[in-house]
Amino acid sequence: MTAPLAAFLLAAFVLPLIRLVPAAVAPPADAVAQHGAGVGGSFARAFLGPGVEPFRNSLVISAGVSVIAVLLCLPAAWMLARHRFRLQGLLRTVLALPLTFSGVIVGFLGILVLGRLGLVPALLRLLTGEPLLAGSAYTLGGLVAAYVYFEVPRAVLTLEAALRRLPPELDRAAATLGAGAVQRLVRIHLPLVWPALVSTFAVAFAASMGSFGVALILARRFTVVPLEIYTEFTGFLDTGYASALCLGLAAVTLAANGLLRALTKNGDWIYG
Amino acid sequence: MRLDRTSWILPLAVIAVIAVIAAACGGGESRPAADASAEAPAGEGVVVQYDCIPNYANWGGVTALYERTTGVRVPPDMKGSSAAMAALEAERDHPQADCAYYSGAIGFEAARRGLHQAYRPAGWDSIPDALKDPDGLWWTVHTAAVALVVNTAALGDVPAPTSWDDLLDPRYEGLVAYDDPTWGGTAYTFVFGVNELMGGSAADFEPGLAYLEKLDANAHSYPRESVYNDVLRGEIPIWINADGNGYKMRWVDGGPVEVVIPREGTVSMPLVMGMAAGAPRPEAAKAYLDWLLTPAAQSEFAQAYFRPVIPGAMPAEIEERFLPATDYERVVHLDLAEMAGASDTLKRAWLERIRRGGGG
Repeated sequence: MTAPLAAFLLAAFVLPLIRLVPAAVAPPADAVAQHGAGVGGSFARAFLGPGVEPFRNSLVISAGVSVIAVLLCLPAAWMLARHRFRLQGLLRTVLALPLTFSGVIVGFLGILVLGRLGLVPALLRLLTGEPLLAGSAYTLGGLVAAYVYFEVPRAVLTLEAALRRLPPELDRAAATLGAGAVQRLVRIHLPLVWPALVSTFAVAFAASMGSFGVALILARRFTVVPLEIYTEFTGFLDTGYASALCLGLAAVTLAANGLLRALTKNGDWIYG
Repeated sequence: MRLDRTSWILPLAVIAVIAVIAAACGGGESRPAADASAEAPAGEGVVVQYDCIPNYANWGGVTALYERTTGVRVPPDMKGSSAAMAALEAERDHPQADCAYYSGAIGFEAARRGLHQAYRPAGWDSIPDALKDPDGLWWTVHTAAVALVVNTAALGDVPAPTSWDDLLDPRYEGLVAYDDPTWGGTAYTFVFGVNELMGGSAADFEPGLAYLEKLDANAHSYPRESVYNDVLRGEIPIWINADGNGYKMRWVDGGPVEVVIPREGTVSMPLVMGMAAGAPRPEAAKAYLDWLLTPAAQSEFAQAYFRPVIPGAMPAEIEERFLPATDYERVVHLDLAEMAGASDTLKRAWLERIRRGGGG
């Protein structure tokens, strides 16, 4: 199974990235004249200049959203993984549904729910007389909500798969040996679940770093790196800067994932 | 399955997708399989036009009529002006498109960058001189004016604004939208034009930016996607955009929409085309570009309330649905060369001061 995967990675990841390098290092003469960035100048702009804000924003929102998504999904994933109940399949399907929506669709959904004429403000008007939260889709809070919505299915499915592999007999054995609930939580559950939480966080984080459509539709002022790449390319034809941002996004996301992997190395994927 | 492996694959795949998009951005249109040599002007075949949005200026109806008349297909293409130029630039060494359509200044800029080849379509002499390049590197196919497109039902008891000054009134808070000018040509025309209307010039953007900063207090959003339907259903009550889009909402879609030419005046927006340098199907492209200036094609554009550039092509029943001619006397024409030259500086200034400027 590794050969097709390697071919895919080479064609869809390595080659495009390599193609971006010359443009980022030495932008075409036209771009140099227009944007004043010579050799290496695009990197300076991406990592020391105007690119700093989008990178910071992307890291903060991706990390924040991923923490929220993991915490929100933990109870649901625990239920799905450790218990059997009626309508379990239906619940799983419903939770996975947003996975089929692209970011742009989630953005439109955000407008339908929290826009000026959104569903939630309309309901709140019925209840309170005031269209509370109207237009909140376009605020930072609305953006975070849409990102979280986008990440929930991924988080539930990843977490459930991980939790499923926890050996239930450890818990029972600990109880038999006289460990109390708190002791079991600290000594058994957390160490066992911790790698699963981290790996789920890593998946959600990477997806959020690359997400483009949600911010494209909803962000009024907030900018993230994928959006910045789009604006620089289509709005300013600045291929050098856009390429440098692309390479930076790839590097930052890979580094973050490497770090997270290292964090859980000691647990060594006990369920793996 | 070891989880640490899958946790690598997903981020890699996500980044790969971004990388592919950035590397080939705009180049997504694959070249149709038709053999260029087999395309006689009136025979079967394809002409590729970048920025051929069916819902905009009735390109859907125009290209359908062309296919019925000649059998030649012009597939829809959803790139806006800026993206169309970016695609031509990216494909400079391997051109895929035969022609492209833009809002005026972007077409001018594409011609300046050498992305077009000179061609003077039949009907050339009927185009007013100000609306074409003397060498045929670009020419106007129809015009619009920047206007306030107002959904009166969404405004409720609040009266429609009648001037640019009106728009600053706090009662319109959260109700006014115009597209991000780094995304849309119409919005760039507005941002450049409002500066002129406020007393600025291509060398001094301060009056326009100061106005837009004040307008920001009433901003609903700065869309980077077509919000035609959001205006129609009232999510966006006031949209600063082409007058034709407002007329179409009212007369074609039956929306509670009114078009307002502000009291202080507004600016015109020529929509231009050019033949792509290295067009893979030159003969078919020329026949198509010729045809677009015929009365049949021109009156088809008018169905979407864009003004034909050829005099006399406007159907009377469409003409009478426009605001009276006296309103259009307040329309000012812009210098496309100045507008194109100011593009990067003004768009950067807009991003800094308006899009990233305020709080919230």
